[in-house]
Amino acid sequence: MTETAAWWSLLAAPALLLAGAVLAVAGDALLAARAAGRPATVRTALRPLLEVPRLLAAQPRRLPAADRLLWRLGVVTVPVAAVLSALVIPFGGTAVADLPVGVVWFNAMEVLTWAGLWLAGWGPNAAFSLIGGYRFVAQGLAYELPLMFALLSAATAAESLRVGDIAQAQHGLWFAVWMPLAFAVYLAGVLAFSFLGPFRYPAGEDVAAGVLGETSGVDRLLLEAGRWLWLTSGAAMAVPLFLGGGAGPGLPGWAWSTLKTLAVLAVLVWVLRRMPVVRADRYVEFAWVVLVPLTLVQVLVPALVVLGR
Amino acid sequence: MDLTALPLRAAAARPHVLLVTTPGGTATRLAAERQLRLQDLPQARTPADADVLLVAGPECRGLRPAIDRLWQSLPAPRARARAATPGALPDALERCRAELAEPRGLRHAEHRHENPAGVGPDEGPDAEFGNGRDERDGDGGGAHDGHERHDGHGPDGGNGGHEGHEAGEYHGSHDSPGSHGSHESPGSHGSHGRHGGHESHGSHSDHGDSGPPWGLPMAGQGEDRDGLTLDQLHVPLGPFLADWPDGLAARLTLQGDVVQRLEFERPPVGGGGSCPPFWGEPWARAAAGERVAAGEGARRRAAAHADSLGRLLAVAGWAGAATTARRLRDDLLDGASSAELRPGVRRFARRVGRSRTLYWLTRGTGVLTAEAARDAGVTGPAARADGDVPARYRTWLAALVRDVDRLADRTPLDPAEDGPRGGAADGRWPSAALVRVLPGLLEGAELAAARLVVASLDPDPDELAAVPREVDA
Repeated sequence: MTETAAWWSLLAAPALLLAGAVLAVAGDALLAARAAGRPATVRTALRPLLEVPRLLAAQPRRLPAADRLLWRLGVVTVPVAAVLSALVIPFGGTAVADLPVGVVWFNAMEVLTWAGLWLAGWGPNAAFSLIGGYRFVAQGLAYELPLMFALLSAATAAESLRVGDIAQAQHGLWFAVWMPLAFAVYLAGVLAFSFLGPFRYPAGEDVAAGVLGETSGVDRLLLEAGRWLWLTSGAAMAVPLFLGGGAGPGLPGWAWSTLKTLAVLAVLVWVLRRMPVVRADRYVEFAWVVLVPLTLVQVLVPALVVLGR
Repeated sequence: MDLTALPLRAAAARPHVLLVTTPGGTATRLAAERQLRLQDLPQARTPADADVLLVAGPECRGLRPAIDRLWQSLPAPRARARAATPGALPDALERCRAELAEPRGLRHAEHRHENPAGVGPDEGPDAEFGNGRDERDGDGGGAHDGHERHDGHGPDGGNGGHEGHEAGEYHGSHDSPGSHGSHESPGSHGSHGRHGGHESHGSHSDHGDSGPPWGLPMAGQGEDRDGLTLDQLHVPLGPFLADWPDGLAARLTLQGDVVQRLEFERPPVGGGGSCPPFWGEPWARAAAGERVAAGEGARRRAAAHADSLGRLLAVAGWAGAATTARRLRDDLLDGASSAELRPGVRRFARRVGRSRTLYWLTRGTGVLTAEAARDAGVTGPAARADGDVPARYRTWLAALVRDVDRLADRTPLDPAEDGPRGGAADGRWPSAALVRVLPGLLEGAELAAARLVVASLDPDPDELAAVPREVDA
């Protein structure tokens, strides 16, 4: 049974999440350096962290007729929602808040990002930025339903929406093993809601970085941090949902949680540079015609298993 | 020192560089891209993300206002330099980084005319829009400080706010009729994007109560491709945009992100066009009677295709493959031998040419039949491809693989042989025809698809600005 942790975990959880995000950024920097023909050293890996002081020193952007309130609100929402989503994720056997509807909480925070990112696109009052914001909504229409069915598959198999229960229900056999499609769709969803890699369509190069295009300084730092925090949070959530949580031989639960999270994170970071950006107009078609029916069938499998038990 | 010193050093250690190329600056751009890649200095996509504005190429009067507007949109601390030749690059970048690390200038914008390096960090509690430049420098262009050197080595100094509005051209804000009336084609809808703009006219007081709010025109309406009445935005595309043919400016009418109409403006004038374009240089030399080896032509053409592929893959958002293409391009220009290049080029061509994902994302866009290409005077790979975007990038890949095998060819280059973008037609460089067919291909396309189509034809800004090519009779 997952227990609720002490008050200080409220500080520890965001710190762990941030550490994971920094590792992901460092890994991405190493891959980028290898691709660009630069030596891959520790220094290479840490160089992206110079962004933090650089962006803190930069002048915030002021634009005519910008919707400043909603812009800031949107920018802040993305990282905050990422941190809030991590509160229900068990670390070993403890979670900050093991809600009875943990899966719904995670999903709700993820949908909150829709609002945040759309507002971040709307706020600057610039065409490409707004197009970026709308692109995320279009991308959301494509990835959200398959993602929800993937989450439902895990919840149905465990007969619970409590994340701790779902991790417990996988004793012996991970959900990733007998529900590989749900696992794959979930991982694609993680990339989609962190708008990274093949799913960075809202911040695509073709619209001059879209939602990110007009942000500078702290605003940009928050949005960039938000997407890497989401990637880490999504990777961490994959562990209790599909990879048996903290269960494993030899090591304590927290160690297994960490190892599995880092493994998922490594796979996600590796994928980032290896695919072109998936245009939402093409992905919507694929998602609704192929993925939604497939994930529906995927939900049906655990439902039948549970009924027959 | 104060708290700002550390972050300033961080910005100087890894500044984001906004690289802008003027016509005739291709060689400098290539050198700059290589240097930025090897030194891990990220290229900024927009001025908002940039610390350094690096202008590669010779001075071009026609583009100067656009470059100045970009400069105005760079957040402080910032630095600016021009490198007319590849040799001037390391110096220019080094000076910019030194300026970024030097906190002295940060709070002293009023001293900027004394600052020989031309850093004009903006600040100002009075700044209401943009960076507050508008009020001070807004009208008349008199504020262009006169210490910009034209020898191509000196820093391109100045904050010159010629037009007093933001760098809309760069990232897609629409024009305000007041500031850009000349761009407005007669008989256009008279409707303007509500969301597009952040071109400021200065302050509130510039506009009476009767004017449009904030000096920004409201969106008008027009019929979309399905016959529905929707808002229209007027968005300038270019002259400077990441992975776009620099200097090429288009006026775009958008509904949502669907291109309704696109008109290209005349290529910029005022410098840079006197020498032959970098990519067409071997052919121009051969046409002038010089003896040029066919292998040299093949090398230049292969490098040009690798450059175009890098741009297309970057627009398609395939970071890994785009980097590979640009490394191959740099290796080709470094003079690597066929044997050294062959395995890498083959692997790259296989990976990109056979990518189902890329094919799925680009198929059916921008179909240009061989017949339509011939009618428009398009030659070269775009005409040979006879199809959509995948057909064109596969033609490039095939030509790249073929050319890499011919690098050692010592026979003389036939000047009538196709250059990277085709042969000369009507005595003009082939890129002009590519620009001619674009508006027809782009109408009704999503913005993302439109960008892919432009990148798949990849008109060369040098050729557009160059004097007509002499053809042998």
